[in-house]
Amino acid sequence: MIEYIIMFIAVLGCILTIVQRDLLKAAILSGITGICVTILFQILLAPDVALTQAIVGSAIVPVFLALAAYKTQRMEDDD
Amino acid sequence: MNELIPLMVIIPITCALLLNLFHGYSKPVKYLSFVVALILPIIPFLANYGLHFFGGHVPLIDNSLLLNQLPSNISSSIISNFHPGIVYSFNSLSKIFIFFFGIVTFLAIFSYISQNKKVSGAYLFLIFMGVAAIVALILTDDIFNMYIFFEISALTQVGIILASKIKNNYEVALKYLFLGSIGGPMMLMGIGFLLGLVGSVNIADIMLAINSGFVDPLSPLFLLSFGLIFFGWLYSVGLPPFHVIKASVYSKALPSASAIIQGFSVMTFIAIGLIIIRIFSVVKFVNAFIIFFSLAGMILSLVLALSSNDFRKTIGFLAVGEIGYIGLGFGIGTPLSITAGLFQGLNELIISALLFIGFGTILYFVKTSKLSKLGGLISYHPKIALFVLIGGLAMAGVPPLNGFQSKLALVQSALSAGYPELAVIMILLSIITFTVFVNVFHRIYLKPKPLDLEVKPDVVIPRSTVFSILILLIICIILGIIPNIVTTPLFNYVGALI
Amino acid sequence: MIDVQLGALITSGAFIIIGLYAAIFLDNIIKKIIGISFIEEGANLFLIALAYKNGGVVPIFLPGFDANWFAQNSAYPLPHALVLTSIVIGASTLAVMLAITMVIYKKKGSLSATKVLGDSNE
Repeated sequence: MIEYIIMFIAVLGCILTIVQRDLLKAAILSGITGICVTILFQILLAPDVALTQAIVGSAIVPVFLALAAYKTQRMEDDD
Repeated sequence: MNELIPLMVIIPITCALLLNLFHGYSKPVKYLSFVVALILPIIPFLANYGLHFFGGHVPLIDNSLLLNQLPSNISSSIISNFHPGIVYSFNSLSKIFIFFFGIVTFLAIFSYISQNKKVSGAYLFLIFMGVAAIVALILTDDIFNMYIFFEISALTQVGIILASKIKNNYEVALKYLFLGSIGGPMMLMGIGFLLGLVGSVNIADIMLAINSGFVDPLSPLFLLSFGLIFFGWLYSVGLPPFHVIKASVYSKALPSASAIIQGFSVMTFIAIGLIIIRIFSVVKFVNAFIIFFSLAGMILSLVLALSSNDFRKTIGFLAVGEIGYIGLGFGIGTPLSITAGLFQGLNELIISALLFIGFGTILYFVKTSKLSKLGGLISYHPKIALFVLIGGLAMAGVPPLNGFQSKLALVQSALSAGYPELAVIMILLSIITFTVFVNVFHRIYLKPKPLDLEVKPDVVIPRSTVFSILILLIICIILGIIPNIVTTPLFNYVGALI
Repeated sequence: MIDVQLGALITSGAFIIIGLYAAIFLDNIIKKIIGISFIEEGANLFLIALAYKNGGVVPIFLPGFDANWFAQNSAYPLPHALVLTSIVIGASTLAVMLAITMVIYKKKGSLSATKVLGDSNE
């Protein structure tokens, strides 16, 4: 049962990231998807890939995105 | 086993990493890159033809020690023929293409390091990494390996564009990378479908599985994987819908770098195109797909080349359009036409490099690249203008140059395969290409010089550039007079392939 | 009740569709990049889901396993190796894209794709 909940959260995290107008929040929300995918990899019998994904998907990618948003502009629209 | 086969990839990668370390020290960077660029075209002549199994993982059927331990339901099935590791295969095709690509690389690197006092290790890192990726694409027999080097070559092309200081290069690089990172996962999905169907990513295994009825070639998943891999191929070679971005990429790089990027496209076209033909040509409409996209690419890029006002852009579109001829040769699908397509690819590699470097010399003594503001430049460097004109004639297919031989072979193969309409279209498009080229040549060199054009009269064209142009021109003429030195081995290779 | 493999395949499909939507239709460049990272994650999840075996074991051969039993019950490890490479490629591409975006923002002061990338072909 837990795996279906995680799949649901992963897709929900995706949609929330896309509709979020604050880029810093969107970056952090994209980490939720990364963590969910990590757990899914573990459930799908790939613990070695889950180790890499845990670092890349839930830490490195959100941090890069947040840094880019911090260095450019925080809100999506120009004003 | 032949240890020199992987060295063709390992040497440029190692050199690239070392150059990145030495960034900032001009002398070691210059010497190292010169020596390695010189070695690159030589290695293919020392290596023997054959397969290289990484990690020594031969197919199970050749490893009797392991085969005897396995249960009989595995050792007697088709699985025992599969290749468990990555396989590189070196044959006459890879030898010819790696040699000529090595020459183009050498000329580009040579002119870069001889014209700049301070050379950038990072820039040469990108070029060598791209070269390694392209050589690996030609050598590899494994579709996942192909995907990795496809991504590396896309990234290095972006880096090479970023290194030029031409206006708007960052924007074009970002666009190219956007499309690439959509095309890359698509290709990965296609590979995933094939992997799910066959259970192996080795091309020989996939062909074996299809030929022995293990996989149904008309199953929707197989066709879907064809579509996805085909999409990635279109992106990497610049056929429609990616012809505009590819031409922008050529026009935003330095002249010698555009020559190399064009080399990347041609080599990728041939490597991935041959893989597509080997795996998917059991499905009949695959050839029609290739012909359709090639024709569309040729026609659209010729139209855009006519309407463009920037000569770098025009040459970029001409180069993209020429690639379509290779696709026509592949699409017709007879051994003769595929050989002609491969030969055309080789000529394209040489001639486009010649044109990019040759037209690039204009930028040494004029500031603008707008065709409407240029004119009358023939009085400044008439020799270079003559060389460029010969290059253009070779591209348009005028005897006795190499473009004539390959286009003649293409037309003949189209006629003998029963596609006279394709032959007519090819001749027509070739005439239009010639018109476009003559138009550009006239507007740059022959028409009266505009009054507001500032020309630096005492600029000397660097000797290394003239040397590069001359070498490429000599290759053009040699291939035009004795095409048999490459067409015979290519034909033998293609005959063994189909 | 759908099984785990089918669920994971559907999830990966949803990732790819959402990612494609973001990459094509959204205007903000960083949002486009986020969409592209979703496409990559979807492709990875697809490959891992292919390798899954219902009721199987992790493909690590421990001492004491029977080889025949292991061959029939383990997940397929080849896609795992492919995905490891693909994750790293995705992360590096993302880093390059963000770096270029930051340079472009410094020059033009905007993150809107239509404003920044619209006229760059000439």
